[in-house]
Amino acid sequence: MFSFTRFFAVALACLFAGVVSAAQPTLVVYTYDSFTSEWGPGPQVEAAFEKSCNCDLQLLGLEDGVSILNRLRLEGDASKADVLLGIDTNLTAEARATGLFAEHGLRMNSSALPESWQDDLFLPYDYGYFAFVYNRERLPDPPLSLRQLVEAGDGPTLLIQDPRTSTPGLGLLLWMKNVFGDDAATAWAQLAPRIVTVSKGWSEAYGLFLDGEADMVLSYSTSPAYHMIAEQDRRFAAARFSEGHYQQIEVAGMLKSSKQKPLAREFLQFMLGSEFQRIIPTTNWMYPAALPATELPPEFSDLIDPSPALLFDDQQVARERRGWIDEWLEAVTR
Amino acid sequence: MIRGPVSAYPVLALLALVTLAPLAGLLGGGRLETADLAFWNSAYVWRALRFSLWQATLSTALSLAPAILVARALAHAGDFTGRAFVLRLFAVPLVVPAVVAVMGVVGVYGSQGWLPLGRSLYGLNGILLAHVFFNLPLAVRLLLPLWQSIPAHHWQLGEQLGFDVRQRWRHLEWPALREGLPGVALLVFMLCLTSFAVVLTLGGGPRSTTLEVAIYQSLRFDFDPPRAVILALLQLGLCVLVALATLRWQRLPEVEIDTAPILAGQHRRSRAALPLIMIAALFVALPLAALTLDALRGPALEMLGRPRLWRAAGISLAIGFCAAFVATLAGWLLLRTSADLARRGRAERAGWIETGASVVYVVPPLVLGTGYFVLLSPYVSPFDWVLPLVIGVNALMGLPFVIRCLGPALRQHQARHEWLCQSLGLRGWARWRWIDWPVLRRAFGLSAAMVCVLAMGDLGVIALFGSSDSTTLPLLLYQQLGAYRTDEAAVSAGLLLLLCLALFWLIERVIGGRDA
Repeated sequence: MFSFTRFFAVALACLFAGVVSAAQPTLVVYTYDSFTSEWGPGPQVEAAFEKSCNCDLQLLGLEDGVSILNRLRLEGDASKADVLLGIDTNLTAEARATGLFAEHGLRMNSSALPESWQDDLFLPYDYGYFAFVYNRERLPDPPLSLRQLVEAGDGPTLLIQDPRTSTPGLGLLLWMKNVFGDDAATAWAQLAPRIVTVSKGWSEAYGLFLDGEADMVLSYSTSPAYHMIAEQDRRFAAARFSEGHYQQIEVAGMLKSSKQKPLAREFLQFMLGSEFQRIIPTTNWMYPAALPATELPPEFSDLIDPSPALLFDDQQVARERRGWIDEWLEAVTR
Repeated sequence: MIRGPVSAYPVLALLALVTLAPLAGLLGGGRLETADLAFWNSAYVWRALRFSLWQATLSTALSLAPAILVARALAHAGDFTGRAFVLRLFAVPLVVPAVVAVMGVVGVYGSQGWLPLGRSLYGLNGILLAHVFFNLPLAVRLLLPLWQSIPAHHWQLGEQLGFDVRQRWRHLEWPALREGLPGVALLVFMLCLTSFAVVLTLGGGPRSTTLEVAIYQSLRFDFDPPRAVILALLQLGLCVLVALATLRWQRLPEVEIDTAPILAGQHRRSRAALPLIMIAALFVALPLAALTLDALRGPALEMLGRPRLWRAAGISLAIGFCAAFVATLAGWLLLRTSADLARRGRAERAGWIETGASVVYVVPPLVLGTGYFVLLSPYVSPFDWVLPLVIGVNALMGLPFVIRCLGPALRQHQARHEWLCQSLGLRGWARWRWIDWPVLRRAFGLSAAMVCVLAMGDLGVIALFGSSDSTTLPLLLYQQLGAYRTDEAAVSAGLLLLLCLALFWLIERVIGGRDA
C-alpha cells in the first residue's frame, strides 16, 4: 500500500539527515525506554549483536512494558517491529491472544529462573521482584510489610507507575491484589492520598524519586545494586515486606508480521547467550534469566531476600486484569 | 476563474465531510456493547468529567480575574516605556507550544525550579499554572480593547461629575467590560476544557485526568476503542454546550488590538498599575526565561548532532507548512464567497458560511482523532496515515483563526475595491496581482504564520498515532519527558520554541511584506 508516512519519512530523511544507507537488513525491536537509555543494556546489546549479525539493530524505547503491547495492538499486522522485548509474564497470556506472535522454535538450556520455563512464543531474559526503594537517610524506619505501608495514615509518600502502561505498575496492582484480595480497593483508597504522582513509566517515577519528590518509589529489590555498584552509594535500599514480593519475569517474542524472521530468531538466541546475559545485572539491574548465580556481581548478595515470591497464573491475570484495573481506577480517583 | 459563490461550496462540503465523517464513525462504527455502556456510569468517567469542568472553571477564574486588573492597569497606565514590549510579550504565549510552556512552568515552579511552590506540580497545581500562563495574557489582549471602546466623552463626563475610582468603574468601565467578558470567559473556558498537552504532561495520574486525556488513555493505555468512543461523545456533548452558550454571547473583540493607550488626561494612573503590569509580565516571561536557560545548559551540542532531533524538527516543519497552506487556502476560498454574498446584500448567508467554518473549534482534536481511528482502522493502519491526519486536523483547528483574521480584511477590501475592478475589467490573475494581494498579504501572512506555528507545536492527534517514523518535535519532547531525560527535553523544547518564534516572524515578513 502506498504510505504517506513512509514517503514523507524517506523524503525528509534525505532532506535533513543526509544520505540513507540501506545495505544491511534492519531488525526493529520494541522495548521500554529504560532499556534503550545510555546507562541501560541497549547500547551494549546493540554493539554486541551488530558485531555478529551483519545487520542494523534498532532498539525503539516506548514508555514502558504495557505500552509496548498496547502499541503493538494498535498497529496490528502493520507494525514495523520484528521483536517485542520487555513485557512480562503477567501479560504473556494477553499477548498470545492477539495472535500477532510467532513461535520462536528455540530451547532454553540453562535457565536460572526459580521455576522451569516452557513457552513456545516467549523467552525470558531476566527476572526480579518488585519492591519499594527508599533513601535510608531520609526514611530511617521503612514499613516492614505492605499492610503496614498501606495502613499507616501518615506513612511515607510514594511514587508509583500506572498499571495501564507500566509493568511495575501492573506488578504493584497484582501484589496488592495478592495480599489484600477483595479488600484491595479499600487498601488503594487508603494509599491514594500519599501517592505523589502516578507516572506512565518506570524511568519518570525513579527520576522523580532521585530528585527527592517522594520518600519511596516502586521499583525492584535489585535497584539498590545500581547505587552500590555504579555510584558507590549505599544510602539506597529496598524495603523488605513480610508478605513477600511480587515476581516479574521479563520476556521477548518475535512477530508473525516480521519480514526478518531468521534474524529475529538469531536475536532471541543471542538474548539467551552469556554475552547478553552478562550485560543485564549491571545495566538493567535485574537477575539474568540464563546465567548462574555465581556470575552475579558480589553486591547482589547484599540485596534483600524477597521470598516468598508471589505470582499469579498468567491466565488468571489475562481474565481479571481489566476488572482489577477498573477497580484500581475507581479507588484512586475516589 | 470561477466567479461568485461557487468556490465556497466544495470547500464547505469537504469541511463538513472531514468533520462529520469521524463523528459519524464515532456514533456508528464504535461497535458499542451493553457492557461498555456501564462505563458511562463508572466513578472514573464522572471523576474525569468533574475534573475537566473543575480545572477549566478554576483556570478561567484565575486567568480572568488578574487579566481584568492588568488590562485595566494597562488602559490607565498611559504611555509608559515598555508598554509596547509588554503587549508583545503577552502575544508570545499564543505561539508557544503547550509542552514547551509546561517545561518552562516546571523550570520556574517545580521543586528544582527558581521559585519552588513547595507542593508537587503534578496534578491540579501545575495544570492551573500552565493554563493561566496561556490564558492570562490572551485575556488581557482581548479585554484591553473594551476599555478603548469607552467613548472619550464618557470619561470627560465622569470627570465633570467628579466620579471617584469606584464610580468610574461602576458607571463607565464595568458596562463596557460586561459586553465582552462572557465571550472571553467562554473562550478561555473552552480552551482549558479541551486542553490536552498540558494535562497529559502535568496530570498526576488518574486523579487529575480530564476527558480529553481519558480519551487518549483509553486508546493508548487500555486499547479500548469503545470506551474511547464513549468518552469522545461525552466530550463532544460538553463542547457543543459551551459553544451554544458562546453563540448566545458571541461578541469577541477582534484579536488585532490597537496598542494606543487611552488619551492622556482622561485617566488617573493608580499607584498599583505599574507594579501590577510588571508582575504579570514577569509571570509570562519567567517560564520562557527558565526554559531558555535550561536549554542552553543542556547537552545542546550533543543533541544538535543527532539526526533524530532534526528529523523530528523536519517533520514538524512539514506539518506546519502544509497545515498553514491548507487552512489559509480553504479560509480564503470560503471568505471570498462570503464577502461576495455580503456585498450583494445576502449577509445572512455570508454569516452562515463563516460560522460553519468557525464551528470546527467545537470538535476537539482528540475526538476527531478517535473518530478517524474508528473509521479507518478496519481498512488501513492509522499509523501509516498519521501525517495527513495531523495536517488535516491542524488545518481544521487553524481555520477559525484564518476566518477571524482574514475575514474583516477581505470584506473591507471587497467593499472598497469591487466596483473599481469591475469598471476597469480587472479579473483573474491581474486583479489578484495588482489589487487583492498587495492589500491582503498582511492578513494572509498573519493567518499563515499563526496556523503554521500552532500546527508545529501541536501535541494532540500525533500523540495518539505517532510512531517512530513520524515523531514530531513536540512528541519527541514528550517522550524525553516520559523517560525523565529532562536535560535533553530542555534542548528539544528550546529548539521548538526557537523554531516557532523564528518561523512566525519569518512567515509574517515573507508573506505579509516588510511592514507587517
